[in-house]
Amino acid sequence: MSVTLIPVGMLKEYVGGQARLELATGPTVREMLEAVGIPPTLVAGVLCNDLLVSKTYHPQDGDTVKVVAVIGGG
Amino acid sequence: MRLYADNAKCSGCRACLVACSLHLFGENNPKKAALAIVPHFPAPGTFEVRVCTQCGRCAEVCPVGAIHQNDKGAYYIQPDECTLCMTCVDECPEGVIFSRPDVPYVWECDLCGECVDVCGPGALWIAE
Amino acid sequence: MLYGYAGQILRVDLTRGVITKEPTPERVMRNFLGARGLGAYLLWTEVPHGADPLGPQNKLFISPGPLSGTLFPGAGKMDFTTKSPLTGGYAGASMGGMLTAEIKYAGYDSIILEGISPRPVYLYIDDDTVELRDATPYWGMGSFALEKRLKDELGEEFQIATIGPAGENLVKYACINHDYGRQAGRGGVGTVMGVKKVKAIAVRGSKGIPIADMDEFTRVAKAAYRACKEADGYEAWTRYGTMMVTSWCDENGALPTRNFRSGSFEQGANIYAPVFREKIVVTDKGCFGCPTPCGKYAHSKKHNIYVEGPEYETNGMLGSDLALGDIEDIARANQLCDELGLDTISTGGCIAWAMECYEKGILNQEQTGGLDLRFGNAQAVFALIERIAHREGWLGNLLAEGVKQAAAQVGQGSEKWAIHVKGMEQSAYDTHSATSMLLAYMTADVGAHHNRAWAITYDLAVGRDKVVPEKAAKVIELQHIRPLMDTLGCCRLQWVELGMSLDFYAPAMTALTGVTYSWQDLLHISERIWNLTRMYWVREVAGFGRVWDAPPPRFVEEPAVGGVTDGKLTSPEAAQQMLDYYYQQRGWDANGIPTSETLQRLGLAELVRVMP
Repeated sequence: MSVTLIPVGMLKEYVGGQARLELATGPTVREMLEAVGIPPTLVAGVLCNDLLVSKTYHPQDGDTVKVVAVIGGG
Repeated sequence: MRLYADNAKCSGCRACLVACSLHLFGENNPKKAALAIVPHFPAPGTFEVRVCTQCGRCAEVCPVGAIHQNDKGAYYIQPDECTLCMTCVDECPEGVIFSRPDVPYVWECDLCGECVDVCGPGALWIAE
Repeated sequence: MLYGYAGQILRVDLTRGVITKEPTPERVMRNFLGARGLGAYLLWTEVPHGADPLGPQNKLFISPGPLSGTLFPGAGKMDFTTKSPLTGGYAGASMGGMLTAEIKYAGYDSIILEGISPRPVYLYIDDDTVELRDATPYWGMGSFALEKRLKDELGEEFQIATIGPAGENLVKYACINHDYGRQAGRGGVGTVMGVKKVKAIAVRGSKGIPIADMDEFTRVAKAAYRACKEADGYEAWTRYGTMMVTSWCDENGALPTRNFRSGSFEQGANIYAPVFREKIVVTDKGCFGCPTPCGKYAHSKKHNIYVEGPEYETNGMLGSDLALGDIEDIARANQLCDELGLDTISTGGCIAWAMECYEKGILNQEQTGGLDLRFGNAQAVFALIERIAHREGWLGNLLAEGVKQAAAQVGQGSEKWAIHVKGMEQSAYDTHSATSMLLAYMTADVGAHHNRAWAITYDLAVGRDKVVPEKAAKVIELQHIRPLMDTLGCCRLQWVELGMSLDFYAPAMTALTGVTYSWQDLLHISERIWNLTRMYWVREVAGFGRVWDAPPPRFVEEPAVGGVTDGKLTSPEAAQQMLDYYYQQRGWDANGIPTSETLQRLGLAELVRVMP
């Protein structure tokens, strides 16, 4: 049962440049981020299958979760 | 083959028109393009894209046989054969044959695909 | 041949009704590029020292940039520059949509409005035909009502910019509206257009833009479009636009709530992007040439209105800052501001201040004209927006002057919660605990606006309360890159939001103009413009210096109340230390004035010596 986590842009720096990570289901997005070393405060948007969800969301098997930082704001 | 457009995806940016003019005329001038963006504002607040469907009506009605098909199968007006009678312009069901006072022929889409390349939302594509 | 430019400048003497055309000055364009840069240069050289912003000596410089109207991502921006009636200093406002391209196709690199028209007019431009036409029948109309009317009368292909009643009534933060949803918002650019009695500008252009190396320009441009389309964050950005950051700001204590009392809003979840998208969004709407449309055209069934928005700033300033937690109410407030021609940010800032005064018993219901001006009262907000635009009633008229003047008049300590810098109301990022962003607001050249530098992620990444030279360096770097886009006549959001490489810009400019530009060349010009606008303040405002860069008292005296930044603030010493680092790195003296060495290095020494 796995989830694909895609850190977008500068967030890749926190996972050694990896573009995709395969993680087990169960944790919330926030917990997954903490586990892989991406500071949740930097993540502005969590997109599960391209729809915005909150960091308390529990990704399901097969979900693709993109996490996006706000580099430069409005 | 023909160009398709999904109105729901069009954001009205007109990049397609500029890419088209660069290809057809070597000019950065969206007023010299072979497709049209029609805004419907303030209500309902959507964009309409008019593209050539390659129906062939223009070739049927051209009185001097100036409209041929290129190697992609797209209908095109041969510039030096066009007499500017405007019959094809009037007869085109999509209104996508264009003319201007400073151009000595009318023109239409040649299926180059440049517009598809610059459309961010993917509102344009070429298919059968 | 001036490749990349239209070749002419249009000068409109409104007092005498005389229109002239001049060749675009090549040397000025080489040194200042266009749009914001041209505006800054012309403001310095053509508006005399001490000019009254509302008088005939002030001018409104309306300028596209070299990239405007070309095949380049986001090539849809233009600049409006003037002496600000709101602040008394430099005002430069950026506007998207379609107009910038149309002005270049008509053949102009700038339109200069001078003097004051004896009667309401609109400027009609159809390629070489330029006329001042009677606008008396249109005076009093709403912005988009007039846009529709002019498109019906002149033709849909005309691009229209208008002022609403707020500009006519000289509200100090009146804006200019265009394309059913885009604005030149801040600093009172609409006020200047209104005092000059120019109700609208209508433009149609049919010419091409000359490009020096067509093949190379097209190659670079197409690669840039491809990079945008392939960006990882493309779907997210296009689906939600800037509204996407609402939840993040809320979670990080940056969402202004109840007049910047705190950075988190208890009803925030009701105004996040997914709610917005689901409830009211109709179309993703883009500016000229933009592959990454941020505009969200919306229809509110509750209020039966259409509006392009709200975007994040308006969501903050007319939403959480006023404690409005219904996205449809925020959309309605947005639409009212647009139609009436008011900058949504300054309007929200003024109303929030008034709400706090009311809460504290400093304003009573007689002074509010019967409005129950509690935080969260949407009906009161709608009514007050109308009154501000029409200068109706004591409070409407007071708030029309801006929060700094309003607080100065009312006194009773209300200056403490007037959230502004240099007289411009702060935009939608609470800065109790974000020292780079606070510095950005303190030093932006128009007043408290975020468009010059946005550094909150940087604050969070390195430590939000840290007071270190690196933060000043970051703000300076952003203040060079972001306004450079305003100078090139294109949007910054392809880079800012999607990470489109900055490496595209110099090759594009080189191929477009035939002049070799490196990225460093472009940044150098941007730094030059930054110092010129700084010198404009020095020239125009007696005693200008460090004291004018002071932060709003709230962030250095009153801890945030509730939310993630509860109890936090930045000390006044820390704010001044940030300024010390900033001035040092900028090559300014301890009072924040550019030194003569800095002006020399930037090629400004001669220009700033001349006082017209």
